[in-house]
Amino acid sequence: MANDQSLESPGVVVGTVCAIGRSAINAVQQAGRLAMFFVTTLSRLFYWPFPFAEVIKQIHFIGAKSMPVIIMAGLFTGMVVALQFYDALIRFGSVDLLGSVVALALIRELGPVMAALMIIARAGSATCSEIAIMRNEQQFDALDCMAIDVYRYVMLPRLVAAIIAVPLLTAVVDVVGIGGGYIVGVLIQDVSYGAYIGGMVDTVQWNDVRMGLIKSVLFGAVIFCVVLAKGFYLHIEQPVSGAEGVGRATTEAVVLSAILMLFTDYVVSAFLL
Amino acid sequence: MSAVEAGGEGAGAPSQAIIQVTDLVTHYGDRQILKSVDFSVNRGEIMVVMGGSGSGKSTLLRHLLALEKATSGRIVVDGVDIGSASRKQLTELRKGIGVAFQGGALLSSMSVADNVKLPLRQHTRLNEDTIDIMARLKLELMNLSGCEDLMPAELSGGMLKRTGLARAVVMDPKLLFFDEPSAGLDPVTSVELDDLILKLREAVNITMVVVTHELESAFKIADRITVLFDGEIAKVGTPEEIRACDDERVQNMINRRPRKDPVDANKYLNRLTAGAR
Amino acid sequence: MYELSRHLHYQVLHLHGEVDLNNSPKLREQVLDILEQGQSLLVDFAALTYIDSSGVATLVEGLNVSKGKSLQFGIVGAGGSPLQVLQLTRLDQVFPLFAALDEIKE
Repeated sequence: MANDQSLESPGVVVGTVCAIGRSAINAVQQAGRLAMFFVTTLSRLFYWPFPFAEVIKQIHFIGAKSMPVIIMAGLFTGMVVALQFYDALIRFGSVDLLGSVVALALIRELGPVMAALMIIARAGSATCSEIAIMRNEQQFDALDCMAIDVYRYVMLPRLVAAIIAVPLLTAVVDVVGIGGGYIVGVLIQDVSYGAYIGGMVDTVQWNDVRMGLIKSVLFGAVIFCVVLAKGFYLHIEQPVSGAEGVGRATTEAVVLSAILMLFTDYVVSAFLL
Repeated sequence: MSAVEAGGEGAGAPSQAIIQVTDLVTHYGDRQILKSVDFSVNRGEIMVVMGGSGSGKSTLLRHLLALEKATSGRIVVDGVDIGSASRKQLTELRKGIGVAFQGGALLSSMSVADNVKLPLRQHTRLNEDTIDIMARLKLELMNLSGCEDLMPAELSGGMLKRTGLARAVVMDPKLLFFDEPSAGLDPVTSVELDDLILKLREAVNITMVVVTHELESAFKIADRITVLFDGEIAKVGTPEEIRACDDERVQNMINRRPRKDPVDANKYLNRLTAGAR
Repeated sequence: MYELSRHLHYQVLHLHGEVDLNNSPKLREQVLDILEQGQSLLVDFAALTYIDSSGVATLVEGLNVSKGKSLQFGIVGAGGSPLQVLQLTRLDQVFPLFAALDEIKE
């Protein structure tokens, strides 16, 4: 229905206003759909029996299969952070703080964000296109017709798996990142071992770990909610169906989930700091 | 017919109609797809819904399956008013209904056998051995023995369709919907599938609603045919009645003549030049 | 849904009414129980009006078990819809079918 109007070319001002209005309506609609989708999926938590086997399978897919890329991301993040901070700290003659700074940066901020980005790139996009293809092949219609609850058997296990797997992967990024920082700080730049590790132990508090944990849980929920809903609503949101629609939905899901993840990051940081 | 229509109003569906659609109007966005459709299917019959693409036949099917919300009108399937049914009622209804989708609509993450067993595992408390044999029986029936462990991605189009049918009938439904049984199949497989449909009906007295645009198959399997045209029912009747029908739209379809709309010269010119002056 | 009687050395399971998803587990238990006891089994279809595929699957399982134990397993008096169900899946060529109990002599 939106296309009919744009064909008539109603003049620049009116046209612009129309376009702004349309995208505003779209954004609100999409936000509403996302919220409904999230609530409906979570409501299936209380149905018995809970599909444990499927959750395990999805944790394997999201978590275990992401390990190589997560380890690489953690390693290089830790190394570059240590490098940058070393260069900054040496100007104040306080390179002994390197361990604390690297650990705090990783645990509070970079660990959750890097893990989330890697999961979006690997598991998120794959899940979105999987769900979109299921929609495209009428698999959801078939499940509806067999009286099998799609939210319960398809959506919930993936969402729960993400909420479990993302914090675990974040922990991996943190640990590998601190190791990367160790390589750069201690082995290459000759910061003392005691200063690096000891400083870290002294500065990092439970509050910092908790912040990272809360973030990563929320990231898992936000990312997979977006990714699943984008695939699920393929037929409503995408102007084209078929492979092209699947491709578009996946691209949009990756962009939107990354932005929402970073937005969540800011909100959580603002609240907890 | 009049008795059926008169009886359709009662909630208990006292008539022999298993599906009763009254004055169904549907929209897709702003576009009207079905314009006041009245439609009924009797118990035990094979009803074929025919029409070209864009005639609204797939839309009608989706509404009968309660996959879409209608603008107005009433759909009663086996005594349940779909528009006002609760989730629970709908679930109960759906357990007695099988649906074979055009492309099979198999879950891509499961093997053929698991797909076929899915409804049994979800809705019954049968022993796994029994479920195993039941699934194999249905696969055997569809000429798919030996395919149990294949994944949907490894199957051809015809095999997907037959697996979809096996899954649709695994619960022994009393009502079976079949979307485009012969689309995309080679002629031999398509004829086999028609025979299978007839055999199924004879043995288990199943009611079937088949949506198709294949004339030959429609005339072969149908007890009655409904011809849809531009969202309206052009004609309902036995295959003989359809053949003898003098409605031009029906005859055009049977004789595979392309539609000839009268040309509105101004509008046509306008379309071609996109309104430029 | 069923009664038991004896005919020669056979246990006879007289089915009546309908066998469907709801009562076939009970039938399965009974069939396997009889075979477990080492007795040959005849299933009487004469008063059976409807059998669904879970019932048929149960009988197939029974036949298979009886073969393993070298017992006899047969269906008696099948007709109408139940017979058509067997024919649909070509099981009429798998089960030994008998018209009536009198037909069976040792």
